[in-house]
Amino acid sequence: MMGSRPGRILPREAGAAPLEVVIAVMAFLAALALGASLVADRAAQGWRAGLSGRLTVQVLPPQHGAAEPSLTNETNAALSLLQKTSGVVEARALSQPEIEKLVEPWLGAGTVIGDLPLPRMIDVTLQPGAKIDLPALSQELIRAAPDSVLDDHSRWIVRLRTLADALVWCAYGILALIAIATASAVAFATRAGLEAHHDIVALLHQMGAHSGFIARAFEWHYLVSALAAGAVGGVCAMGLFMAAGGLEWAGIEPVPFLPPLGLHPSELAWLIAVPIGAGLIAWATARISVLAALRRIY
Amino acid sequence: MLRFENVGMRYGAGPEVLRDVTFSLEGGSFTFLTGASGAGKTTLLRLMILANPPTRGLITLFGHDLATTTRSVFPSLRRRIGVVFQDFRLLDHLSAFDNVALPLRLAGRRPGDYTHDVEELLGWVGLGEKLNSRPPTLSGGEQQRVAIARAVVARPDLLVADEPTGNVDAEIGERLIRLFGELNRLGTTVLIATHDRSLIERGRAREMRLVDGRLVELRVPRS
Repeated sequence: MMGSRPGRILPREAGAAPLEVVIAVMAFLAALALGASLVADRAAQGWRAGLSGRLTVQVLPPQHGAAEPSLTNETNAALSLLQKTSGVVEARALSQPEIEKLVEPWLGAGTVIGDLPLPRMIDVTLQPGAKIDLPALSQELIRAAPDSVLDDHSRWIVRLRTLADALVWCAYGILALIAIATASAVAFATRAGLEAHHDIVALLHQMGAHSGFIARAFEWHYLVSALAAGAVGGVCAMGLFMAAGGLEWAGIEPVPFLPPLGLHPSELAWLIAVPIGAGLIAWATARISVLAALRRIY
Repeated sequence: MLRFENVGMRYGAGPEVLRDVTFSLEGGSFTFLTGASGAGKTTLLRLMILANPPTRGLITLFGHDLATTTRSVFPSLRRRIGVVFQDFRLLDHLSAFDNVALPLRLAGRRPGDYTHDVEELLGWVGLGEKLNSRPPTLSGGEQQRVAIARAVVARPDLLVADEPTGNVDAEIGERLIRLFGELNRLGTTVLIATHDRSLIERGRAREMRLVDGRLVELRVPRS
């Protein structure tokens, strides 16, 4: 008695390994691009959240005369004005160590910072949704503290948003290029497969197999191959992002000035889309290629 | 069942290999196709099984004028034809059982429905012990019997066989001809291309003979 499972219409191909390697590499690159877009998007959101709803007032050292008394007087005057301004939740002058910490990445740690005439900084927290007339506030600040400068961060927010959007669109562009390259590789492999299995295809066609039946044999073959290869590439990329997250968790900053490169668990889940996408591209490309080839047979 | 009218065929820009071929096969008939090598037998068979379109002339199959029939209908017409190829055309990666079951799979039947039929048929052609054998492990004669079993398993309306007894001994050849005769008795139209004169004489069937691409003789047996 025979088993109830019929044999595969197409034999397993020993020569399919190069295609699977190509798809695995493509999937790895696609997962990196997708992960990079998620990191860029998260960083931009973080930056925006950190800067919006806040103001910074700098009190610059005077060009003439003693800096310290002037800085202290003007800072107190500015603080007094800001604390009375409607919509301001908190106005706090940064301490000297906090200011030194801010410039440390550019000037380095050491005694030289203490000798420099650094401006005083006031960090202002606004009520959510508060509408403040910033030009009028700026004028009032100049009257109270002539060497003060008001910064609402809008210039930085716009630039960061533009940068983050550019990074995200770059990642999408890379994803699109990888998808096209994968589709081309699968189309090429499908044509080679059709050529290699021409006798089988011709026989099935002669026996009355519908084009869809023959196409299914090929599309399943490439779908399974691409899913497996895509999973390998996706898991490798996932491992890389988890390693980056592990470095950050251990307190080691992989690349200075860049946002954390590790992905959150919810973001890692997005990488599952990579093998699925690779499988769908392979499935659709194989189906289209086979049906086009069968249309040319009588 | 099948009608050829002034059919001509050439491959590319080459000479005509079939010229003005006109004949018809009635439903339930049994016919031998004879002719020397290169006479055009294989080309005529290829036109009959819808492997190639004719260069000129009209072919009517199962009531369909092939010149005007849409391509989407062809698979269903092909499934009504059983073909025994001279080179067998078995799928080497499939077992004898799966090769024979292929037409039934294409017809949409489930494995549970056809297992018994396929096993019985393979037993009938003497391969009951070789259900799981793959074609490369079978002798030429055994492969030919698998090919014949595959051609008849779906009880086709038209059976076309190209030298079906060329690789088997006399006893198996006799059994295969009996199988074709039985199928014919059940209503299948049979056409066999052969060089074997003894087969033709024994078969008491109609004979069509091709010479240089022309159908020169149509011999009807005396009843």
